[in-house]
Amino acid sequence: MSDKVAISQDEINRQYERLKRQAEAGGYYLNPDAKFTMELVKGLLVNERRYGYQACPCRLAAGDRDEDMDIICPCYYRDADVSQYGACY
Amino acid sequence: MALEHVSGRNMGRVVLYALSTCPWCNKTKQLLKDLGVDHYYENVDLLRAEDREQVMKTVEKWNPACSFPTLVINDNKCIVGFKEDEIREALKA
Repeated sequence: MSDKVAISQDEINRQYERLKRQAEAGGYYLNPDAKFTMELVKGLLVNERRYGYQACPCRLAAGDRDEDMDIICPCYYRDADVSQYGACY
Repeated sequence: MALEHVSGRNMGRVVLYALSTCPWCNKTKQLLKDLGVDHYYENVDLLRAEDREQVMKTVEKWNPACSFPTLVINDNKCIVGFKEDEIREALKA
């Protein structure tokens, strides 16, 4: 498996804006540390290319959509993490 | 299986299990580099399935939640997550 997935800054920016709108519509906010969040967004896009869906960049995906259903962003653990830590990642 | 080696000050065998896509893992890699500690890291998501399974058995032994980053110091201490203060304390000169 290669990590040489080229994601352009333009794609990252577009996805960032999309997620920001979705998050805010649902009453969530993206991490204000934009540099960090951009890295997360890039991870989501890498996983989309790699697996065909946006698995959480901080959890190990199995590579099978059914098996990974719980970790596709926004994942099943988001609300519990937000309650416990004030953020998911 | 390809553990990446980063040379530095010897503090025993320091191994970081990470994901190439995870910013917290990247912060941990950077911290280890900044501390100048000799260490190894493995991007578990980039391994072939059979190697990944093998490595995850080791990760699970230290961190049953199998979350990332998992840092194992000298085969006797495990720090899960980017806990900067704890990592600095464990690896101070």
